[in-house]
Amino acid sequence: MSIWTYVINRAVRAFLLILGIIVLTFILSHVLAPNPAYVWAGPHAAPSVIQAIIREYHLDQPIYVQLYYYLVSALTFNFGFSPYFKQPVSELIAIYLPRTLQLIFVAMVLTGLIGVFTGAFAAEHKDKWGDYTVKALYLISWCMPPFLAALLLQLFIAYYWGVLPPNLMADPTLAAPRYITGFPTIDALIEGNWPYFWSSLKHLILPAFSLALISFGVITRITRSSMLTALQADYVRAAVMRGVEKGRIVYVHALKNSMIPVITLLALVFSWMISGSVIIETIFSYNGLGWLLTTALYNYDYPTVIGCSVVIGIAVVLANFIADVLYAVIDPRIKLG
Amino acid sequence: MTLEVTVRRRRGWADVVIRLLKKPDVAFGLVIVALFYAWSMVEGVLQVVGALLNNPALGWALLPYNPFQPHLSQSLQPPSILHIMGTDDLGRDILSRVLYAAPYDALISLVVVGGGILIGGFIGMVAGFYGGGVEEFNMWLTDLFLAFPALILAMVIEATFGHGYIYAMIAMIVVWWPSYARLFRAETIRVRSMKYIDAALLSGLSRLEIIRRHIIRPALITILPYATLDLGNVILFYSMLSFLGLGQQPPLPEWGSMVALGLEYFPRWWWYSIMPGLVILIIAVATALVGDGLRDVIGGEERWV
Repeated sequence: MSIWTYVINRAVRAFLLILGIIVLTFILSHVLAPNPAYVWAGPHAAPSVIQAIIREYHLDQPIYVQLYYYLVSALTFNFGFSPYFKQPVSELIAIYLPRTLQLIFVAMVLTGLIGVFTGAFAAEHKDKWGDYTVKALYLISWCMPPFLAALLLQLFIAYYWGVLPPNLMADPTLAAPRYITGFPTIDALIEGNWPYFWSSLKHLILPAFSLALISFGVITRITRSSMLTALQADYVRAAVMRGVEKGRIVYVHALKNSMIPVITLLALVFSWMISGSVIIETIFSYNGLGWLLTTALYNYDYPTVIGCSVVIGIAVVLANFIADVLYAVIDPRIKLG
Repeated sequence: MTLEVTVRRRRGWADVVIRLLKKPDVAFGLVIVALFYAWSMVEGVLQVVGALLNNPALGWALLPYNPFQPHLSQSLQPPSILHIMGTDDLGRDILSRVLYAAPYDALISLVVVGGGILIGGFIGMVAGFYGGGVEEFNMWLTDLFLAFPALILAMVIEATFGHGYIYAMIAMIVVWWPSYARLFRAETIRVRSMKYIDAALLSGLSRLEIIRRHIIRPALITILPYATLDLGNVILFYSMLSFLGLGQQPPLPEWGSMVALGLEYFPRWWWYSIMPGLVILIIAVATALVGDGLRDVIGGEERWV
């Protein structure tokens, strides 16, 4: 199978999954929901509002007509109007999604770095104290509730030592950049707004590090085991015989190849981080998608909840697709299929 | 000439426990897990009996303090001998509240892992044994549920049906089964290639009957270490839901929601949020240690995902 048939195959799968996600949320919100009009309008809505909602979402039509309207609007990213924020849901998502993506991107880079180096370190010191220490560290961080990790970091680094700011997205006294790409840090960079750029970078570190802290363990484990395999390979033995120094073999020769399996995990880590970001954003008062989702949830703003979750589902499917393709491109030994 | 016969004893559960206790870290985990479930059972029974007899005080008969009674003069006391985990804003003892909440977490961990095994086991074993279109569809369904980040899916479900303990439980079972479907499918495919399955097929047993008689047991045993570790994952996840206000509703205490309530008093009165969080961490680490130890004893794949 050539690489292109593989990519098309994966793309078709991804599209089917996206359709499935939309249908699943439709079933939840139109079929299984005890009374869809009340769910969409919120529990305290006036009768006239309920009538308007029924008309707007075609709730008086047969179910397949409802599905048709729902599919068409979801595929065109039209998720209706948020009763709480008084704004179209798609506009809200355009504002808040990039903020969370920016946070998750930094967190994933940190996770990758921490995971790969602790994994390589553990493999280098297999069955010695270094290995056990790394194992204890990732076991604890793995089992750490996200809010505990965030609170401990906030407590020590921000409040006791005062190294980094404890919450918010940037210094509130600074003027925020205009909306260009939606990523605040990048927008500030484009505008040349240096104070805001530095401030938003500083505010990113703690939440991103908390996210990294709760998810690096899985990368450590996979790097350690693939590194152990790589250290047995002929090219490593050849390097040993040529007299290459041990640290160089581990961190240069073997590391490159042991990083390949990590790629497949990135999509999974992305999905966890979206879950984690809901909690982390609450603690650091970082107004991203997680904040939008929880606020909508507390205020019975159902269109926003559904809109956010469909977009998140699509993002995870796309992340999986990208990881699959990257994996095949980087490692030509992979059996495509 | 004497005939030497080596009798290989069948490895019973007592034997497994003894081997688990030989490693200090696993033994530590096992003790914590056993204490947690034993306490939860006692406390849970007391609470239920108390509710039935219209005498809720039975629920805190064994606790150091009444977990509901405010003592405003004692509010926000730091951890000390009198209050090991400190007190909250209303002067209630945090340790008593943590202990009072334990049965909810114990129950939800067992129900969600059990429900996940039932639903995921059925879908996964059918997929693995039947193959073809059935497998394609079942695994597509599994991927579909896995495409949603778990917390988001649970939040949508609770937004649709309502907030509360039972809804959280249902939402979590919906989120939990797909990983078991994958595990059971892989396990079924492994067992399916064995000769005795071919023999059973030739003898005319129906396929569902073969799954029931010959596949469930080996699959369950292989999955046991993962399921043990997963008890802690459920408690972690439930604490996240409860942190967001989607678990047990106030005034009932709950580990995650206590952390959320304490945020208002953070960082000055740090113990309010940190202490319940540490309890969750300890339970999760303990189940992970036991799961790891079980895997070494029973065998089976290293699997954390």
